[in-house]
Amino acid sequence: MHDRTLDIPQLSDEVRVPAPPGSWRLAWRWPVAEPRWASVLVERRSVIANLLLTVVLLLSSLMYLAVGSVVLGPLELLAVLRGEGDMVAAFMVHELRLPRLTAAWLTGAAFAVAGCLMQTLARNRLATPGIIGIDNGATAFAVASVVGISVSLAPPAMALMGAATAAAITFGLAVGGGTRGYRFIVAGIGVGAVFGAITQLLLARVGIDTANAAYPWTIGTLNARPANAMVVLAVGLAIGLLLAMWLSRSLSLMRFSDAVAQGLGIVIQRRRWQVLTVSVLLTGLAVAVAGPVGMVGLIGPEIARSLSSRRGVPIIGSALAGALVMVLSDLVGRVLLAPIELPVGIVTAVVGGPWLLWILLRPASRNLV
Amino acid sequence: MNHYANLAELEARALSLAYGRTPVIDTLDMTLPPGRVTAIVGPNGCGKSTLLAGLARLHVPGAGSVLLNGDDIQRLPARTLARQLALLPQQASAPEGLTVMDLIRFGRQPHQGWLSQWSADDRQAVHDALAAADLEDLAERPLDALSGGQRQRAWIAMTIAQQTPLLLLDEPTSALDLGHQIEVFELVRRLAGGGRTVVMVLHDLSSACRYADHLLALQGGRIVAAGPPNQVVTTDLVRHLYGIDCTLIIDPDTGAPLLGNIRRAHPSSA
Repeated sequence: MHDRTLDIPQLSDEVRVPAPPGSWRLAWRWPVAEPRWASVLVERRSVIANLLLTVVLLLSSLMYLAVGSVVLGPLELLAVLRGEGDMVAAFMVHELRLPRLTAAWLTGAAFAVAGCLMQTLARNRLATPGIIGIDNGATAFAVASVVGISVSLAPPAMALMGAATAAAITFGLAVGGGTRGYRFIVAGIGVGAVFGAITQLLLARVGIDTANAAYPWTIGTLNARPANAMVVLAVGLAIGLLLAMWLSRSLSLMRFSDAVAQGLGIVIQRRRWQVLTVSVLLTGLAVAVAGPVGMVGLIGPEIARSLSSRRGVPIIGSALAGALVMVLSDLVGRVLLAPIELPVGIVTAVVGGPWLLWILLRPASRNLV
Repeated sequence: MNHYANLAELEARALSLAYGRTPVIDTLDMTLPPGRVTAIVGPNGCGKSTLLAGLARLHVPGAGSVLLNGDDIQRLPARTLARQLALLPQQASAPEGLTVMDLIRFGRQPHQGWLSQWSADDRQAVHDALAAADLEDLAERPLDALSGGQRQRAWIAMTIAQQTPLLLLDEPTSALDLGHQIEVFELVRRLAGGGRTVVMVLHDLSSACRYADHLLALQGGRIVAAGPPNQVVTTDLVRHLYGIDCTLIIDPDTGAPLLGNIRRAHPSSA
């Protein structure tokens, strides 16, 4: 430390300011009348983590495209991706596996970013939208639109409304406890249970064909993807990611106690609303595509946090890790008991259940994010 | 150490603070002496911490106002206020895995933006804060691996890096043993020497007398005494605040009042 403190640069030497440990610093000068310096810090560890996640995600995706009822060799797959190869393989990859892979990426990223935001908001790793009932709220409303409770709104709109309704009820019930602590989580679990029951009730009262049509939304699967919901999710995810990154500097302070964050200039009430809104938006849109795929919102951010720098909240890392979890889980679901297909929601639950127990039972468990 | 060309003046005007319908601070007027250390003392539940929260805008007044250089702090943008006034709350908690340097860097956030994340000023401020709190050798150490006194100094260093003329500390020594308390108090004295206005809530009257220039004694949400410790601390005040009798001695080395022969006050002597 001492040798570094000795050479403190002059103000005019902005470009040569050494970065703090563990970071890279990019600095440039705006070419305007009154030149001003801009500087951006990049956490080295987070960059490496995101690169690693990207590489693993791409490799898993290639495997996802190659493996299934018909297995393609690496060369065969490359040929198909270049627009060559035989017709059957091309149809399978382009028409069946690629759209489903895209759905896995989009929903995984959306669930994980929504989870990361909610965990940070509540300063509790258990507080993911899936656990506090928002997924179930979105599902109940989407199922209601499918079984035709005299509502003709598209599933994405209904899922969004359901997510917002569940969030509003959970937050309403937790009043006094705020968004912190177990009161909030217990309220959310209760709300989730009620919405789960409503979904079952709706399905029990309609004919078997209608119930079958609504079934995908209850279990979490990438098998039945409404095309319009995919487009809406893609747009929503792009916006949500930008908003989350815009919020990320505030998010890293929201991990501290409220008084500390406020003392550092965060308007905490306004920020909470913004973070909650983005989280609910992403959850609703993802549920409209894949149903309530549990645990991705828990596992994705967890992986991202363990790999990334502790200074910030890993938004990009969560998106990548969530997509990865989704791709791998769906791959396992398709292959494990082939030709029977396991819905992805069951695979993530099987993986996520023990993970959740570990978080709860870990001896040195501090629930802070 | 930093010099503040214009000292910030913080004052309360007919300030009332309440939790729901329970009034805590009752039409209180006060001005903090600039460049000095003020200690807010009083019995448990007298409203010390609430007053500090009100001064830092964590608590919206039911009536009256807090003025910073004449402006109502409720009307200042949050970041503007955070560049004038730094706060260290009681038992501040940090996310896992941060180093001392990481924590101190967060103190620069009110001065930074998306496109000014690390300027020469930021670097200078962080290094000055490390030096002021005597933490240069511990900069890369995780917060969890520090002693209580070191960790508290790291938190104060974060507020130093904020480079505000005003510093508000809520019971900065409450969980520390005597040696670590002195570490923190001596740091506070150095900061005031550099031109900062410091306010701390303290429950220990002796420390307040020893390290503060100005004492605000609170009882039932009102100020019952205000002034330099050796002028305002009397056996009557001590009995009124804490319900104890004592003998006041003047510390021959520092001139600060010391409490000797402390015992519970007899109803007859009250």
